[in-house]
Amino acid sequence: MSTQTRKSSNIWLGIFAAFAVLGLVCWILQLTKGLQMTNLSTTNMWGLYITGFMIFTGVAAGSLFFAALPYLFNLNEFKPYCRISAYTGAVSSIVAASLFIIVDIGNPERVWLFITSGNLTSPMFWDFIMLVSYMVISIIFTRQLILVHEGTKEEKSVKPIAVIALVAGVFVFVTSFVFSFQIARPMWNTPAQPVSFLLTAFAAALTVLMIIAFVLNKSGYIEMSVNLLSRIAKVAALLLGAELVFVAAEVLIGLYPGAGGQYASASWLVGGGGAVRFWLEIAALAGAIILLAKKPTPKGGNLISGAILAFAAIYLIKSNFLQAELFNPLLNLPGPAMFGDGASFYIPSLVEVGLSVGIVSLGAFLLTIGFRVLNLGTHSSEHERGKLAG
Amino acid sequence: MRYAMAIDIKKCTGCHSCSVACKVENNLPNEIWWNRVLTVGGESMDTPKGNFPNVKMEFLPINCQHCENPACVKACPVGATYKRKEDGIVIQDYDKCIGCRYCMVACPYSGVRQFNWKKPEYAIDVPMGDKEVAPHQYNSVEKCTFCIHRVARGEKPACIETCPNRARYFGDIDDPESEVSKAIKNRTYFQLLEEKGTKPSVYYLT
Repeated sequence: MSTQTRKSSNIWLGIFAAFAVLGLVCWILQLTKGLQMTNLSTTNMWGLYITGFMIFTGVAAGSLFFAALPYLFNLNEFKPYCRISAYTGAVSSIVAASLFIIVDIGNPERVWLFITSGNLTSPMFWDFIMLVSYMVISIIFTRQLILVHEGTKEEKSVKPIAVIALVAGVFVFVTSFVFSFQIARPMWNTPAQPVSFLLTAFAAALTVLMIIAFVLNKSGYIEMSVNLLSRIAKVAALLLGAELVFVAAEVLIGLYPGAGGQYASASWLVGGGGAVRFWLEIAALAGAIILLAKKPTPKGGNLISGAILAFAAIYLIKSNFLQAELFNPLLNLPGPAMFGDGASFYIPSLVEVGLSVGIVSLGAFLLTIGFRVLNLGTHSSEHERGKLAG
Repeated sequence: MRYAMAIDIKKCTGCHSCSVACKVENNLPNEIWWNRVLTVGGESMDTPKGNFPNVKMEFLPINCQHCENPACVKACPVGATYKRKEDGIVIQDYDKCIGCRYCMVACPYSGVRQFNWKKPEYAIDVPMGDKEVAPHQYNSVEKCTFCIHRVARGEKPACIETCPNRARYFGDIDDPESEVSKAIKNRTYFQLLEEKGTKPSVYYLT
């Protein structure tokens, strides 16, 4: 890493740390005043934190999957970047996904009950086990890949852990069980939902990896050709295209009967309280697919705008998926007011936004530190040392 | 043995006495209701359905259905909610609840489980109700207990005793001589969202 990039990465580290501290302040505020600091309610009891959890569990799973793929199918040109992907999986599973759960629960000091009193029939417990295994697998995988890169280990020796990482990545559909196993929520309670989770998880991972690759390319940490970036973008476009078909089908299937549980959610999305965000979702999805699938510009600008738009689309997909059901419960009769009643849509509070930005910044901070310390770039360490000495 | 409740919706006049009795008996914090009387048909609470003069008032009192196959019990990641083997009452252990609200997501009877979004505050300065009621906890989920503290003493839940129209019945549904078994005998009834397979222990007489 050159002195100049080190300087600029120092500035970024400072910015990320500042936002992480802001997040901590928001969390303290939430802990002392309660979850009333969020814009959640008795009816709409899950929001931005659970959305963040869904997205970053997906990023973790997808990063593991795509880190393993080149080693199992001999995609040699992608191998130099696998350490970055595996490390991104570790950071997003540890920081983003698990922290989003911790901040969402009312009594974080009781989180150890997951270990001492875990309920084997709870999909949330299965998900907890899965996240823990993601952390372990991605750390081992990153380490093994570093050893291969340094030449102390043979490449074929990483195959077993690569197989485990690949399978673990596919198992992200377990996250969908948290939602799709619930009989109280008709729109979630379908066998198609796990497939959608797989599509969005892998797409989320690819968009995050593309953004990271773009930044690292610019700083000179890695050298990745626009051609390679474009191949990743095409896979992301394909995944998002399939998700667009899924979303359209989900809404049409809901609307067609003209009444019932699924109709309530679908019509809320198309023309009710969730309409603005739903149509933004469709526009972002379509825009991202076009940008990602298009022939890349010389510097790949369209690809990176596509990746950023795709990430926004995935956020809207997950958030709309959640709120469409919560705002339209099966028993929707007027009665005495409950906490937070009256809202017909959900916009996260400043505390929720601050805390979420803080968590993501902490993730970005750990990524930056990792890139610096672990030598995950495509230049050899000797070469860098020479550069630094020079 | 399984405790159950029957509510005669033909007798219910929507007076909300059961809600108030529950609130006082269990010293419920502000904005928390374990027992609510919903209005069927009208657009807002206590409004009739139809157009004048052809209007009709109908109510649906709702509390935890103490399901035989409860979705909440399966969902809770730490076992803070469980069904008592001896009498089928679904319990919420405040000391164990991590406050993730997954049970609220899983329950099809929206609103019967409520979360303490803030430190419990009360309408009056002194605690009300029965001293054996477990203290309410900040950041935890709570719900109707079928008044276990009263049932343990051989009494009926507060809502049953308070109902001025005697529209509510309680007892052991496995005992054909119990008040609740007799109430549903020879009557037509429905159970809420029966098609979801939760097997609720609350029967609505029609």
